[in-house]
Amino acid sequence: MPLLVKARSFLRNLFLSRRVDVDLDQEVRSHLEMMIAEKIRAGMPPHEAQRAARIELGGVEQVKEQVRDSRTGAFLDSLLQDLRFALRQMHRSPGFALTAVLILALGIAANVIVFGVLQALVLRQLDVPHADRVMTLQPKDGGPFVSNPEMRDVRDSNTLFSAVAVYEFQDFGLEANGVTRPLWGCEVSGQYFEVVGIKPFLGRLLERVDNDHPGSEAAVISWSAWQSDFGADPHVVGTKVRINKHPYTIVGVTPQGFRGTEKIAQLDIYVPMANEASLDGFNWLESRSYRNLFSVVRMKDGVTMPQVQAELNTITARVARQYPKEEEGLALKLARPGLIGDFMGGPARGFLAGVMGLAGIVLLAACANLGSLFAARTADRAREIAIRMAIGSSRWRVLRQLLVEAFVISILGGACACALAWMALTGLAGWHPPTRYPLNLLFAMPQPSLILIAFLIAVLAGVLFGLMPLRQIFKTDPNEAIKSAGSQSAAGRRWALRDVLLAAQIALCCVTITAAFVSLRGLGKALTMDLGFNPKNALLTQFDLSQAAYTGDAADHFQRQLLERVSRIPGVEAAGYANSTPLSGDTLVSTVFSQQSVDFRPSNSAFYAYYYDISPGYLTAAGTPLLAGRDVSFTDTAKTPPVAVVNQEFARRLFRSEHAVGRYFKNGDGVSIQIVGIVADGKYFTTSEDPEAAAFFPISQKANTSTALIVRTRRDTADMVAAIRGVVRDLDSAVPIRELGPWNNQLALSFFPIQVATVALGIFGAFGLLLSVAGTFGLASYTVSKRLRELSIRVALGAQAKQILSAALGRMLILLASGSIVGMLLGVAASRLLSAIVYQASAHDPFVLAAVACTTVLAGSLSVAGPVRRVLHADPATLLREQ
Amino acid sequence: MSPEPTSLLQGTLDLLILKSLIAGEMHGLGISRRIQQITGGTFVVKPGSLFPALHRMEEEGWISSFWGESENNRRAKYYRLTKPGRKQLEAETERWGRITWAIAQALEAS
Repeated sequence: MPLLVKARSFLRNLFLSRRVDVDLDQEVRSHLEMMIAEKIRAGMPPHEAQRAARIELGGVEQVKEQVRDSRTGAFLDSLLQDLRFALRQMHRSPGFALTAVLILALGIAANVIVFGVLQALVLRQLDVPHADRVMTLQPKDGGPFVSNPEMRDVRDSNTLFSAVAVYEFQDFGLEANGVTRPLWGCEVSGQYFEVVGIKPFLGRLLERVDNDHPGSEAAVISWSAWQSDFGADPHVVGTKVRINKHPYTIVGVTPQGFRGTEKIAQLDIYVPMANEASLDGFNWLESRSYRNLFSVVRMKDGVTMPQVQAELNTITARVARQYPKEEEGLALKLARPGLIGDFMGGPARGFLAGVMGLAGIVLLAACANLGSLFAARTADRAREIAIRMAIGSSRWRVLRQLLVEAFVISILGGACACALAWMALTGLAGWHPPTRYPLNLLFAMPQPSLILIAFLIAVLAGVLFGLMPLRQIFKTDPNEAIKSAGSQSAAGRRWALRDVLLAAQIALCCVTITAAFVSLRGLGKALTMDLGFNPKNALLTQFDLSQAAYTGDAADHFQRQLLERVSRIPGVEAAGYANSTPLSGDTLVSTVFSQQSVDFRPSNSAFYAYYYDISPGYLTAAGTPLLAGRDVSFTDTAKTPPVAVVNQEFARRLFRSEHAVGRYFKNGDGVSIQIVGIVADGKYFTTSEDPEAAAFFPISQKANTSTALIVRTRRDTADMVAAIRGVVRDLDSAVPIRELGPWNNQLALSFFPIQVATVALGIFGAFGLLLSVAGTFGLASYTVSKRLRELSIRVALGAQAKQILSAALGRMLILLASGSIVGMLLGVAASRLLSAIVYQASAHDPFVLAAVACTTVLAGSLSVAGPVRRVLHADPATLLREQ
Repeated sequence: MSPEPTSLLQGTLDLLILKSLIAGEMHGLGISRRIQQITGGTFVVKPGSLFPALHRMEEEGWISSFWGESENNRRAKYYRLTKPGRKQLEAETERWGRITWAIAQALEAS
């Protein structure tokens, strides 16, 4: 009941404030009149009675104000007043308001965007039921891959998982309605959908029985494949299709929104892994050393990670004892799934944390900038504030009014930032990285929770810069402020808060500028670095013959025919093929043993090397220089002794010299292989790797259905693409071409991380620069305008331009210089973090240091140029007359 | 008498207003005079304290107001005690009794 009464008065005070006010006015006035009447009745003369009554009342307005303050909602009422005042202030100086909102919007947007990506890639779990129970297992060190028998052991001997599954990405040739098209999907083991825990949208999902040997010919398609490839046919269940020429039946459709157990990939078809041999062309299901699978497991409810890890350790130790050769040192760890197992997890977390840090720095710098602007404005308003205090306003009330102003700006900035971030993230989600892999960032689709984040950041920023003038207000002495109105004796004498803020801001901005230059330099190096092959003027054609049911000799025959036909196309300078190409992403690694080895456990190996199966002519076509010995040849066959071409690093590691032609090494199976040629080093897996060993084996000694044809040509790309496509189609129209185009297109993915890094850091750098220019300019012109009178007196008394400059802006220069130096030191320290993504990132690079120094000096002089002009061109006579 | 006793004793003013209204509805000046009278002139409530208290108490629901005619035919705002107001008066009286007793005990202790 009292609550209801209170609520009613609150609403009345809020919405009928005019009527309430009139009512109050009448009440107080009638009170006054009654007092006068009372005094007259007591015998006072009327004019004296009036005076006495007024004194007793203490002022109609004051009483009214006291009543208003005691009312429910009085706080809100005065807040609204503050708000109106703040809006009026902004309206009066729209330039300041606009700049402030814009600076904040950019600063907040940067944070929200980075946080959005961080949330999508790292913080958010997979879109499956009870995602917190779903984990991936991966080797403690080395790649993310496990082999099928290893996970079978875990599956059969654990007690803490409710389901254990493995999967492999695969591009399939899906033939439906008479058309074959390449489609990315997964070969999954029996419990995959138990781990995932989703319900089918149509039909059923793959079950354990589908993976009994031989596996059933059942396939599950994704919702989006159902939409695009099957026209959302409600009777799709039961449809007969052919996958890699083998008959399959579609048994179900996954629900919309299910995107597999990877966050950044779109997988459209799921088939039983038991059929792997017929789909891939060779059988690896029983191989312990062929590690090509990602794992996903679902922990039982109530089971803790340490328990699981302890059990895993027991299992792996047992497996390692049982298979000392293949499983030596086997150890598995739990990790969050979704980023190619957890393979990308580390780099993604590192990179995003670094970028988040930079974004935070930018926001801090923006806050420092706005803070110093606010402090300067507060100083200008010292007189107004003093008057308000003198007539009875509390300091808290003054501060609150300033805070409200800060909040209005920060909330507006936050709203703009939200819109910006929304657009950026939506754009990001709809964008496909330049690769043949089914990568996309749909997962980065902005979440409503980001609005809250933006709001929180905005409030935080508002408090941060809104509180800067706190000290100024609390030490304001109304007496002094009004007496010394406008003379501003303090400006330029002592170090003010705004000076410190400016130095801090310049230091922060310098960090972002340094980071930007480091990554720019890295990109420059990466684009001109020696890859060990020449992707210019070369075309890459990629397909997998297993998708058209070729195996072994048939594949070899097809590839040779193709090479022969392609070589005859006019304009072709060189052509050759391999199972895969460097920097394509699917690069295989194998152990290398010295010729003397007898023990072939992995720990005994000399080193690991990337390996490729290549045809004669591939090296020439790829532009990889053959430094010694010979190329592989079609006369190297399964019946002749095994041979290989290796790179310089391989030879150096094995023999400590590059004279390796004619010498031998052994592979993991203990087979001796003779080195017949040496090629130049290159980049194989990432552009930022250190020199790595690589070996090239004749594909004619070990047929491979995976085909990457390189054609070096002088002719126009489009013509040549059409000609090559014609040749492939001529040979077998059922071969689904995965990729055909300039080699550079495929490499785009390798340069992608560094390009992303450069763009991101470049934006932050530019923003940092903008902030520091704005900050320096703002403070310089403020200082000058405050001291113009004093300076013009000096000019009138005969001071030289140099003296004037040092008096007016000497301090600015000290601030600029010290801020820049601190910033550069910080930047150098921080750029170590960049080396993870940027090739040879080093801030110790004299080029980078010089560029940063030049930029800051240039920006600094640019931003003080205006104020300097104003000082030098000031006319003492006019100025002194005016004031 | 200290200069502003009413401001020192926040709760006291409420209690005195409630107590003075028990005699019947009254306008502001009437309340102020009544308090002066029943406290033997110890408390002189100034309008600057009286009106905020009246409005606050009205918002609490202890008193209600209406416009009426004063003894010499002036328009005046009258206040009257409500049911929750009576309860509040009882509670305040009881509390006040406890406080005065406690203070008296404290002052008598040696």
